[in-house]
Amino acid sequence: MKLTKYEKARIIGARALQLSMGAPPLIRISEDMLDPIIIAIKELEKGVIPISVRRRMPEKKLLGEEE
Amino acid sequence: MYLSEEEIVERIAELKDKLPSSLYNDLERELRRVKITEEDLKKVVAEVLRRYEFAKVEPGEAVGIVAAQSMGEPSTQMTMRTFHYAGVAELNVTLGLPRIIEIVDARKKPSTPMMTIYLEEEYAQDREKAEQVAREIETLYVRDVLEKSEIDLVNSRVNLYLDEYELRRKKLGVEDIVAKLKSIKGVEIEENGNVISLTLSNPTIKDLRKLANRVADLHLRGIKDITRVVLRKEEKEYVIYTEGSNLKDVLKIEGVDVTRTKTNDIMEIQRVLGIEAARNAIINEIQDTLNEQGLIVDVRHLMLVADMMTVDGTVKAIGRHGVSGEKASVLARAAFEITVDHLLQAAVTGEYDELEGIVENVIVGRPVKLGTGMVELVMRRELEESKEAV
Repeated sequence: MKLTKYEKARIIGARALQLSMGAPPLIRISEDMLDPIIIAIKELEKGVIPISVRRRMPEKKLLGEEE
Repeated sequence: MYLSEEEIVERIAELKDKLPSSLYNDLERELRRVKITEEDLKKVVAEVLRRYEFAKVEPGEAVGIVAAQSMGEPSTQMTMRTFHYAGVAELNVTLGLPRIIEIVDARKKPSTPMMTIYLEEEYAQDREKAEQVAREIETLYVRDVLEKSEIDLVNSRVNLYLDEYELRRKKLGVEDIVAKLKSIKGVEIEENGNVISLTLSNPTIKDLRKLANRVADLHLRGIKDITRVVLRKEEKEYVIYTEGSNLKDVLKIEGVDVTRTKTNDIMEIQRVLGIEAARNAIINEIQDTLNEQGLIVDVRHLMLVADMMTVDGTVKAIGRHGVSGEKASVLARAAFEITVDHLLQAAVTGEYDELEGIVENVIVGRPVKLGTGMVELVMRRELEESKEAV
């Protein structure tokens, strides 16, 4: 599903924080690509970040959640 | 190598599901008129799609605040107080900032109620017939056709001197007025050319004065509240503009086109045509007022304002007495105006606050549920468990 700009920003932010604290990157990185934010963006583009978004319906139920 | 019309239509058919139908129809209509190559068409389609996607609002966007800014900024550009004389007709209409304030405050009566009355085909083309309708609409009192009235103390009676010119202009005869005067009880009517004499059986001076006033205020014809009527030839038809508004009665007049006739009195529209019509009226009135000053605001902002004002089925004002004053959350209301009263009242009645809104969370010091603050993230654990690193 297409992410909104806010969701992208949050995922990149959360992932960059993990990376900055020493989490192993999930893509190959090179010497010129050490900024955690840039790595996080690349990871998101590849779709390898193990983070999902919970979307709630207006009545606060989770999307796809049953009664 | 230009594409034929059929080829163009065929090629843009895929857009049908991707664009709203109004946009699609516009695009199709425009493209049918142009000569275009296959390559250029592809570019047009791509650009239309790009712009449409760009114009969409993403979930989480603070639409209310954006709407407020988008209306607020142009308002600062407006001439503070403008009165406008609408063209040749010289009708005085409130416009500019005072008008916007009036709409948003949901006033009971606009300061200058006005109607634009369109006529049905056969009346709209014929000056005679249009004038006839206009005459039927304008209110006319006896005082409007009176040259003067006097109290004759010698014979104790009231003499009315009718203005011949006005009578001719309004297409009225002396007998029409006499007929109306008959509705006043206990009065003897004597007609002498342009003079009508009214006699009471043994009156005091006070009685005579009262009678003179009562007669002057006697309603001759027309619709209540419509004080002035101007007939104007627009591009291809006659249109009636009025000062004063009475939608309900005007719609009953024969020859009036009920589908196009409008008023600037939003509350009246709500009463006569219902809430959906009132919503549209709010949007149109705000937009017209802004456009008149050369300011262009995306309709969607105005639609949001109109929606907020009409959601609960009646038109309510924005501000203390309406939208802001009726918010469910105490903290939100307290943050707006009369803080102490709201908090006190909430304490007395033991109100409960869900802390759902923006202001509440700002007060409490939590992230606000808007934009990035609205996103909930969860870690997917499957990678960790399978120990599968890249």
